[in-house]
Amino acid sequence: MDLGLTEAQELLKAAVADFVQREYDKNTLIALESTPTGITPQLFRKITELGWLGVVIPEQYGGEGRSLTDAAVLFEELGGGPVPGPLFSSSVLGALTVLQGGTEAQKQALLPLVARGERVLSVAATEADYGWRPEKVQLQTSLQRGHYVLNGVKLFVHDAAAATHLLCAVRTAPPSNGGSRGITLLLVDASTPGVGVRTLSGWMGQVDEVSFTNVQVPADGVLGGVEGQGWEMLEAAALQAIPILCAYQVGSCQAVFEMAVAYSRTRIQFSQPIGRFQRVQDHIIGMVNQLDAARWTTYEALWKLESGRPAASSVHLAKAVTSEAALKVCDGAHEVHAGVGVMREYGLTLHTQRSRTLYHYLGDARLHRRRLADALGW
Amino acid sequence: MDFEVTYTPEQEAFRAEVRAWLVENIPDGLEQPVDPAHLSLEQYQKLRELGRRLGAKGWLYPTYPRAYGGSDLSVDFVMIVEEELDRYSLHLPPYYDSGGRLGGASIFVWGTEEQKQYFLPKIFRGEWRTWQLLSEPSAGSDLAGVQTRAIRDGDFYVLNGQKIYIGSLHGCEMMWTIAVTDPERPRHENLGWLMIPYDLPGIEVRPMELLTAGGEGGASPGLKHTVFFDNVRVPAFNLVGGENNGWRVATTHLELEHGGGGMVRRNRVVDEFLEYCTTTKRNGETLSQDPDIRDDMVEVYIKNEILRLFGLRTYWLSHAHKPRSYEGPQLSYWRKTNALEIAEVILRALGPYTMTNDAQWGPLAGLLEHYQRSAIVGLHPGGTTDIQKVIMARRIGIGRTDKEQAGRLR
Repeated sequence: MDLGLTEAQELLKAAVADFVQREYDKNTLIALESTPTGITPQLFRKITELGWLGVVIPEQYGGEGRSLTDAAVLFEELGGGPVPGPLFSSSVLGALTVLQGGTEAQKQALLPLVARGERVLSVAATEADYGWRPEKVQLQTSLQRGHYVLNGVKLFVHDAAAATHLLCAVRTAPPSNGGSRGITLLLVDASTPGVGVRTLSGWMGQVDEVSFTNVQVPADGVLGGVEGQGWEMLEAAALQAIPILCAYQVGSCQAVFEMAVAYSRTRIQFSQPIGRFQRVQDHIIGMVNQLDAARWTTYEALWKLESGRPAASSVHLAKAVTSEAALKVCDGAHEVHAGVGVMREYGLTLHTQRSRTLYHYLGDARLHRRRLADALGW
Repeated sequence: MDFEVTYTPEQEAFRAEVRAWLVENIPDGLEQPVDPAHLSLEQYQKLRELGRRLGAKGWLYPTYPRAYGGSDLSVDFVMIVEEELDRYSLHLPPYYDSGGRLGGASIFVWGTEEQKQYFLPKIFRGEWRTWQLLSEPSAGSDLAGVQTRAIRDGDFYVLNGQKIYIGSLHGCEMMWTIAVTDPERPRHENLGWLMIPYDLPGIEVRPMELLTAGGEGGASPGLKHTVFFDNVRVPAFNLVGGENNGWRVATTHLELEHGGGGMVRRNRVVDEFLEYCTTTKRNGETLSQDPDIRDDMVEVYIKNEILRLFGLRTYWLSHAHKPRSYEGPQLSYWRKTNALEIAEVILRALGPYTMTNDAQWGPLAGLLEHYQRSAIVGLHPGGTTDIQKVIMARRIGIGRTDKEQAGRLR
C-alpha cells in the first residue's frame, strides 16, 4: 500500500504547476474563459512541445505512453487553473476512443498527429434530446455510394470549435436483440462542407452546437472499420477517460479550497479574520470533505484501472462523487467570499463555471449513480 | 499509488501462519451478539483468552517493539493480521480495549523507561484490559476543564472526583485518567495523567443506562459506567509524563480518538444491509429492484465508500509515518455524521422494520435496530462532530497562519 505519488509523478506535478502559474495567469484565464476554443495557438504549441497531448498515447503511436495516474496528475494541475481548451477532449477522450476502437491503420494515421497537436479531436455524441445513453443517439445515416451522408445536429459537444476532426456518434441500425446498440463512430473532418460549429453563449465554456448539412463522410471514416460498435468503443474509452476528467475537477476543487483558506486569513470583519468565525469554518470544512471524497474516489478508480482490477463501479463512483463535489466546493467558496467571489477579476467564477459545465460531461451524477448500482450487480 | 497491500512471498507465508494460528487459537464456541450489551461473561472470557494468546505472539498490539510486548510489525504485516481476524468479524484487540490502545500509545510516547517496562507489556500482551476515564459531568468537549483532583501526598496522589461514560461490560484491570494535580496553575498546565489499578480502595463503579453504549466501530463496549473516586491513593510512580504535564500526554490519545490512526475494517451494517436488499423479496420483487430502495442503496454505498477511503488514507498516513494534519478528525467527523445519515437512509428504505429486533420481524437479527441507536450514541465518544471540526479548522489554518500540529503518535 502506498497512497503517495511516485517521484516521477511529483516531478510532473511540479512541472505542470509551474507551467500553469507561468503561462496561465488570472487575466489570461479570464480572457480565454468564453472564447470558442479556450486556447491560443501559442499556448497550444507550448503544451504540444511539452508532450502533454500524447500523455496517454502509447509510444508506438508517437505518444508519451504514460500511465493513467500520470495523466491524472497532469490534469489535476491543469484543473487548478482551470486551464480550458481541448486538452482532455482531444488528447484523452478522443485519443482513447481511437485507441479502443480504431483499426491499426487508423491508430497509426491518427494518434501521432493527435500527440503532435496536428489533429484535434472532439467526441460528438449528444443531441437535443440530451443524455449520455445509447438510445439518445438518433442522428441516422447509412452508407450510400461510398459515403455516409449526415444531416442533423449534435448538441452540447465539448471543444468542437477547437477540433479539426469530430468523432461523431451516428445511428446506422436500430438496437438489435443480439446486443449491438446500432451506433457507429464516424471520423468527420470538421472542414468538410456542410459542417457547422457554433459555440453556445451563456455561462458555459467551449460547448458547441455542431450541425451537419449534407455532409459527406467517406466509408473509411468508420472507426474500427465495422458499423454498429461505436457505443461500445466510446464506453470503453470513457471508462478510462472519466477518472482523468475527475482529476481535472479535483484540481479545481483543490485550488478553490486553497483560495477560500487564504481569504479566511486575510479578510477582516468585526476586527478579526473571518476564518475565526465557526460558521465560516463550517463552509471550508465542508469543502475539504468534498475535495477529499473526490480525490480518493478518483485515484482509487485510476489504480483499479491500471492494476487490471474490475473498475467500472469505481469509475461510476468517482464521477458521481466528483461532479457533485465540484459544485459543492464552489458553492462553499461563494459563501465564504460573498461579493468578492462574484467579481470576475477575482477568478473564483472561472472554477464555478467549470463545475457546472463539466457536471454533465460524460454523464451526470444521477446517471453514474444508476450505473453504479448496475455495475455492482444489484 | 497502490490502494492495497501488495504482499511479498514472505508476507503471504505470514498470512498462512496467521490463518493457521487463528484456526488453532480462536476459542471454541466464540459467538458475538448483535447487540454488544448481550455479551455474556463466558463469551467475554473467550475473547480475553484470545487476546492473551494474540498477546503472547506479539500480535495483540503488533506495531510496538518486542521489548514491550509487540512484535515490531510493519503496516503491511499488521494489515494481514487485521484481515485474517476480519474473516471472523473480529478486530485488534478482539474485545473493547480502547483504554489499552490509547493509553498504551500515550505511555509509549510519554512514559519513562521504567514505566514503559512496567505498564506496556501487561497491556500489549492482553493481561490487562484498560479503561479510559476522561469525561466528567461538567467537562465533555471542554476536557481540559476537568475537576477531578489528584493531589500529591508523599508517594501517592490522592484522587477525588467523578467520571462518566466509562468502560465496558465485565470490568477491567486498569484505568487511566487526567485530573487536576495543581489547582493553582493555569489551564492546560495543571493536569496529571495517571494509571489507576481498578481494585484500589475508594473506587466505586456504577452502570449507566444509555440508549446503547459506544457505537464508533471496533469492538463495542456494551455498557458504560459512572466512576467515583473517594480519596483513592494512587502510587506516584503511576503519573505518566511528569508533573502537571497531563494535557500534553493527552494530545497523543486525543489524536487517536480523533481518528488519527485510521480505519481499515469493513462496515458490517452496510454490507449486511446491501446484501439484505439484494436477497429479500417483498410482494415477489427483490427489494433492490424497487427504484426508491435502489437509490437508497446507492446513497448508503457511496457514503460508506468515502468513509472507507478516508479510513484507508488516514491508516496509511499513520502507519507509514507520513505527516498528518486534519485527516484524523476529518475521518472521525465523516464516520460520525455518515453513520447517522446512513441510519436514516436505511430507516427510509426499510421503514418500520428498521426499528424492531423482534425475533420474527426484525431484519438481520436486530442488527439494523441496534444501528439506529448506536449511530446516535456514536456522535459523542472521542469528541463531538463540532469538536472534530474545530480541530480541523485549527490544523488547516482557517483564519490563522499558525497551524496547529497533529498529536504525536510515536
